[in-house]
Amino acid sequence: MNRKMRMKTSWQMRKRRLHTTWKVFRETKVGLVGVGILSFFVVMALASFIPPLIDDMYIPLYGNDPSIIGLSEPSLRHLLGTDYFGRDLLSQLLEGAKWALIVGVTAATASVVLGTVIGLISGFYGGIVDTLLQRTADIMMSLPAFAMILVVGSVLEGISIWNIVILIGIMGWPGTSKVIRSQVLSLRERPFIESARVSGASNFRIIFRHIAPNVLPLSFLYMAFGVTGAILLEAALSFIGMGDPMTVSWGMMLQWCRASGFAFQAPFWMIPPGVCITLLALGFYLVGVGTEQIINPRLRKR
Amino acid sequence: MFMTKFVARRSVEIVITLFIIATLTFALFRLMPSDPVGLMVHPLWTPEMKQKQRELCPPQFCCFRQYTIFMKNMLRGEFGTSFYLQTDVYDLIKERLPPTILLFSSSTILSFSLGMYIGRIIAWRRGGKLEYGSTVVGMILYSVPTFWVGLMAIWIFSYRLDLFPIGGIKSVAVWGVPDAGVLAKALDIGHHLFLPLTVEVLLFFPGIMLMMKNVMLETLEEDYVITARAKGLPEKVVRDHHAARNVMLPMVTVFTLSLVFSFSGSIIVENVFNWPGLGAMFLGATIGYDYPIAQGAFIIMSAVLLIAILISEILYAYLDPRVRY
Repeated sequence: MNRKMRMKTSWQMRKRRLHTTWKVFRETKVGLVGVGILSFFVVMALASFIPPLIDDMYIPLYGNDPSIIGLSEPSLRHLLGTDYFGRDLLSQLLEGAKWALIVGVTAATASVVLGTVIGLISGFYGGIVDTLLQRTADIMMSLPAFAMILVVGSVLEGISIWNIVILIGIMGWPGTSKVIRSQVLSLRERPFIESARVSGASNFRIIFRHIAPNVLPLSFLYMAFGVTGAILLEAALSFIGMGDPMTVSWGMMLQWCRASGFAFQAPFWMIPPGVCITLLALGFYLVGVGTEQIINPRLRKR
Repeated sequence: MFMTKFVARRSVEIVITLFIIATLTFALFRLMPSDPVGLMVHPLWTPEMKQKQRELCPPQFCCFRQYTIFMKNMLRGEFGTSFYLQTDVYDLIKERLPPTILLFSSSTILSFSLGMYIGRIIAWRRGGKLEYGSTVVGMILYSVPTFWVGLMAIWIFSYRLDLFPIGGIKSVAVWGVPDAGVLAKALDIGHHLFLPLTVEVLLFFPGIMLMMKNVMLETLEEDYVITARAKGLPEKVVRDHHAARNVMLPMVTVFTLSLVFSFSGSIIVENVFNWPGLGAMFLGATIGYDYPIAQGAFIIMSAVLLIAILISEILYAYLDPRVRY
């Protein structure tokens, strides 16, 4: 009975906390705009299943309109026009939204979780653990991530979109871990850590209960940076020609646009993917800023 | 005393790191699906002729021998001969390094001064229109893909308006004339530099600016800032001497992180603007499987970054005497 009651109160507390959190989030406006942008792109991603169902010529990767050969300007039949191969640009754009969301979220989550945990451990324990972890981070950071992914990508030959996700996740953690660590270094000298230790808290508890909440704002900031960064990185890789040729991403669209030599004659081909990348990256960034203001009240507007 | 010991230790660590990077590079590029013979011979050769050529020069050494030879050559600065161009990679890198350093250092310095200057002001005048406007602009610029901005800039300013050259670093019209003056040459490079530099600065400074704003806002809440104000010090003194100085500390960390970030960005900018730098060469070599160039460029780029990181660490220890590595 007692246990049941306690569970209920903790659940209610959680619900209340969620409610206040959402209220603060709503007040930040920035976060709300971000959520708005994100939901727009989620709708786009969901809508990517529709065009191929209407007609075969709307299949993003190899659809072909028999009445149009090659490049065509926006028309009723093709709302955003067709590319050099006669493929519908709107359905490509929708397909791109799907892949951008998938790549961005998975890659960023992986790298930020990894970076935060490593940063906490490294900063808290110091000594040999710190040295080992930080030297590894140094090495990885001094390998310019983009160049490294290029090299590994060319070794893998025929890079798939999941390889890109894994590579971005692996290459992304050192930055987060360094920032978290430098924060932990100063935090662990503060009096409240000493009092926690005096009252008998274990190392594990001190790290995840007392220090972690204090570094979370930075983690979230880096999460926002992370998704934004992952989307931009995937786009850049595809644009350079290291993308997955069997996946229609926005970067890939721009790569086809540039490689075909029509970049400057066909602005209707070049502009939409770039605008989409920017907006989606911005959306995640804004959500990050909004989240940051919840966690770190100092940044809130008074 | 402490400083010399620290620098010495870090230098040793950097050498070890470079060694690991070189080993990694060796392993990675050996795994690369390249066909050196196919690249060296004339493209019109038939597959049978290529096969014959390949049999003529089989791999002479086992993997370990290859590795030791590779390391010895790296120490001597011999990166081998390019498969495509048949020229010494060392010379190629020497030729490509100055344009990269010119573009990279100027954009880093410009975007850092700009970002920190604006970030400091908007944190100070919190809630104003200036903060709102620059934050929005900064966020948008932070989210724009580098290569796309480059393409758009070329499309608008070079293709449509014809104000700037489409790419490259020199124009034959100026450098081809035998008695062209130094000033004319410098102006020509500046003319070519303008678009890539603008694009890089536009893309790098917003991150710095937003970071600076956040850090500055945190600092302004500290007790010593309130004390300084309570003492009746002029606002400017509080901002520049009490708050901004302590902001320098986290900003050095940001600087280290952003160096690598902007380095990646500059590879793409070099590619889009056809800038004859190290990054563009590296990119072409990786995609074309020309691995002597790719590994040489990769190691040099890593070395440059490591040294930059060391400098920022020294700066960090200097700025904050409490920090002991």
